[in-house]
Amino acid sequence: MAVVDDAPSTPRFVRADGPDKVTGSGRYTADLTLTGQLVAKFKYAGVPHGRIVSIDTSAAKAMAGVFAVLTQDDVPDLRYGDAVSDRTLFARDVVRFEGEVVAAVAAISAEVAQAAVDAIVVDITPLPSVTDVEAALDDDSPLVHADWESYHAPGGSLRNRNDASYSVISKGDAVSGMAGADHVVSSRYVADASHAAPIEPRAIVAQWEGNKVTIWTTSQVPFQARSGVCEVLGLPSNRVRIIVPHLGGGFGGKCGFHFEAHIAALARAARRPVKLVFSRAEEFLAPDRRREGIVVELSTGVMANGDIVARTGRVIVDNGAYTADAAFFPQLAAMHVAGPYKVANVHIEAHLAYTNRQPSGSVRAPTAPQSCWALESHTDEVAAVIGMDPVEFRLRNCVATGDVGVMGQTYDEIGLIDCIRLATTAAGYGAELPDDEAIGVAVGWWPSFPTSSGAYVKLDADGAGQIVTGAQECGTGAVMTLRQLAADELGMNPEDFQIVYQDTSAGPYDMGATGSQTLLNNGRAVQLASRQIAAQLRDMAADRLEANPDDIVLADGSAFVAGTPDRAVAISELAADQMGGELLLGHGSSAGRTAPALTNSTCVGDQGMAAWVAPQFSCHAVRVRVDRDTGVTRVLSVHTAHDSGTIINPIGALGQVEGGVMMGIGQALTEGTQYCDDGRQRNAALLEYKLQTSADAPPIHTQFVEINTPNAGPNGAKGLAEAPNVATAAAISNGIAKVIGARVPNLPMTAERVWDAISAAGVGEVVR
Amino acid sequence: MSFRTAHTVADALVAMAAGASPIAGGSDLVVGARAGKFALPHDLVAIDRIAELGALDVVDGVIRIGAGVTHARLMSDPVVVGQLTGLADAAALVGSPATRNVGTLGGNVMNGSPAMDTGAPLVVLGAMAELSQVGSARTIGLDELWVGPGLTSAEPTELCTALVLPVPVAGSGSAYVRLEYRRAMEIAVVGAAAMVVLADDGSVADVRVALSAVAPTIVEVSGLGALVGSDVAAVAAAAQAAAAEQAAPISDLRASDRYRRHCVGVMARRAVEAAARRAAGEVIAVPVNRALGIGAQ
Repeated sequence: MAVVDDAPSTPRFVRADGPDKVTGSGRYTADLTLTGQLVAKFKYAGVPHGRIVSIDTSAAKAMAGVFAVLTQDDVPDLRYGDAVSDRTLFARDVVRFEGEVVAAVAAISAEVAQAAVDAIVVDITPLPSVTDVEAALDDDSPLVHADWESYHAPGGSLRNRNDASYSVISKGDAVSGMAGADHVVSSRYVADASHAAPIEPRAIVAQWEGNKVTIWTTSQVPFQARSGVCEVLGLPSNRVRIIVPHLGGGFGGKCGFHFEAHIAALARAARRPVKLVFSRAEEFLAPDRRREGIVVELSTGVMANGDIVARTGRVIVDNGAYTADAAFFPQLAAMHVAGPYKVANVHIEAHLAYTNRQPSGSVRAPTAPQSCWALESHTDEVAAVIGMDPVEFRLRNCVATGDVGVMGQTYDEIGLIDCIRLATTAAGYGAELPDDEAIGVAVGWWPSFPTSSGAYVKLDADGAGQIVTGAQECGTGAVMTLRQLAADELGMNPEDFQIVYQDTSAGPYDMGATGSQTLLNNGRAVQLASRQIAAQLRDMAADRLEANPDDIVLADGSAFVAGTPDRAVAISELAADQMGGELLLGHGSSAGRTAPALTNSTCVGDQGMAAWVAPQFSCHAVRVRVDRDTGVTRVLSVHTAHDSGTIINPIGALGQVEGGVMMGIGQALTEGTQYCDDGRQRNAALLEYKLQTSADAPPIHTQFVEINTPNAGPNGAKGLAEAPNVATAAAISNGIAKVIGARVPNLPMTAERVWDAISAAGVGEVVR
Repeated sequence: MSFRTAHTVADALVAMAAGASPIAGGSDLVVGARAGKFALPHDLVAIDRIAELGALDVVDGVIRIGAGVTHARLMSDPVVVGQLTGLADAAALVGSPATRNVGTLGGNVMNGSPAMDTGAPLVVLGAMAELSQVGSARTIGLDELWVGPGLTSAEPTELCTALVLPVPVAGSGSAYVRLEYRRAMEIAVVGAAAMVVLADDGSVADVRVALSAVAPTIVEVSGLGALVGSDVAAVAAAAQAAAAEQAAPISDLRASDRYRRHCVGVMARRAVEAAARRAAGEVIAVPVNRALGIGAQ
């Protein structure tokens, strides 16, 4: 184990897209303008649940400057979806959330397009809204999808009425385990829904040339966007090209297939390029990628000596109106409610309830921040019942190398205990603090997702390199780090490489900026591709230097026989020889990884989340100050320690942790969607949906526990993009509880909710 | 649709008499129109290049702040920071550096939002608004100017040209504090401004308190005159109780009425305490919120 710290000596790596972005020379999708381009606007349902009686587009179609008006009648009539085919491109018969697209217009200007949208008359008979996730699972609840039994479920989800996917994880005998415990502690926590809220609202431009369409879009997952377009418009993949210009943030909100096909269909009907740019309100209301609300009830049986002996739980995840990619959320939430602990007896059931709200989908570490917040708040409560320090309690019960986790997975070398020790020591845990301050501690975990991913690497005749990859950069720097991996294999500098990326007709398949998988998988592909070129270069150099290829070293832009760097041949010189010879082309494809074996556990409704390849661990220690008079909480400092395997690009890794922590602070304190009783959003705007700002950022100190992890990513790396977002809110919760002597049972823990908890606990306002 | 740039107040008044609406920083007008709150006015007259609106001077015991003075200037101008410190506190909390650089005091006052930050300090510092139109001018109290949320008693043809305030007496200090949930791009959940004059023996010789975001307009707390002669702690406690009692808050996305009523009392107390410390000669950096860890600290 080595520890990488965010000390000033940490190597600094300038990312290739940085200068373009900060000087304004880089181009985003909304910056594009094509000749003859029209403007698209959508007609939304506006009501959370209702039956469509009629849609009259005649007035809109008759307006001057309107080139196309589309409804579901104008596109292939099929249901699609990641895990359950529960939606159509445009609403058909029934609308199920306020932001559902009923019709689309392409017109000469934004004003004309909006006037045409306003001229579309949609007659909707309201239906009762399902908004309470617990009541949604009752037998007498109205159904969000009356025809759900007929829906195809390609993901194999277990379904029951409004329960869109459920999962039960079980180990040992929870009933007898609980009965034998010295104490049983029960808690209930409720997390509000929230948003990814990328600063760039989404934008799409589509242009047809013959029977081929090019779509520029703000997607984190261009290949999934392509397959979505192909599926709903009935096109082969080689006639749809998705290009993503610079992406202005995603945070999961731009994963999935969203509106690319709507715009492609409009462009085809209008015979003109068509551009869509969302307003901020639309960015809140329309995408099927809200962070899900969650209700968690859990109980833990504990012995007086501090051993956890049993855990039971019930989790309900708010799916919203359509399933998007959320089918695996119940299982993932159940894993996070179980937590990275050694517990012999576990029974946790988790449900994904349809409601008449915006669909939920993968936002950075889906289900984890909320579930971790519930579990780790509960963990402090359990420790308090037996009078044990909560950090000591975690050290006693958390999983370590060789331990068996909740699903019966035996852990290879992992660094959770090191993370706890490093973060708490750095934070000064245990030292005397002012009476309105405290340090809260929480641990988190998250899987890595090995899967297929491809890249090409080439050296041209002047020795300049190019990486042609399917990978998608959403701001994390993961794609930018590919240059470092190629350079290391070829003995060149990262700056010697340009990256061609975010174009489905140029690069091979990649899953996209999702699942913390870019460097983990595409990094391996780039390494493999680079090694092919390295082998070519060694052969060429061996010929020149009359040596064995195995003895050739590639370093500092040259090839030489090991031990004699003074007799070197420049790589650029070798590259020049390729003209008339064999081109320097490499291709690489990463493979999935073998899932760890599981013993003595069961999972009903397994969505592939039972065994975790290369799991990541973290501990966050957060110092907070609470204003007892008002409940306003300020995060003073954050100390984190992360086990994400080998750290390849320290500055990129630190940026990931800092961003994850800031997102976690927002989720902890200020970010939550408020709803009307019928399921419509009340705060779909950045003034009332309060993101943290840079002015709010506290000092964030990070240490990495480096473990060269086999069966993982390049050089023993694990993923890192989502893990830093898991434990922050939980640690803040524990800090607040220490100061006020009470629990805030709702997330976000807004100032008013903290004040309510203070008031309810009777510790009251301190008038000085 | 027309847009013209006025270079003198007289030019602007003529344009307004013909139906144009004034625009200075546009931080309420343009943002509001983009958000769909209202349509942009058909005719606009830009007043941001009128030099006389940017003047800030002290003449004969009166501080005159041109309506075009920006928040960024208010938070750093020596006259404002030194003598109207509560107004500097408020200006420093508005929006972001970008909004503070374009947003003006006159715009903030005439926008008439009950959540405005500069309103409460202007009230406790005794400000009056100077309104002009072609052929006439008048100076009115802010209680007369603000008549409801986003509503003023000014005629559409009247331009606010300045805010005029008396130079505070020796031994006085002022402060503005607000409840906020984050440190930038924030709007007051509730806020309170206080002006305190201390007598030589340290007792309170005069006190005024005004409140943000707890009524249809900025409101002044009444009945504090009876506290003259009391010590600061007693005045602060009484101001807390009176503020909470006199507030008429609503429940909305930002807070419940119950929480607002409680917190405006807390803010009133803290404003009085900070103003009294300044009155006693202590230098508390602008804004008080950051210096003393109030709100998002």
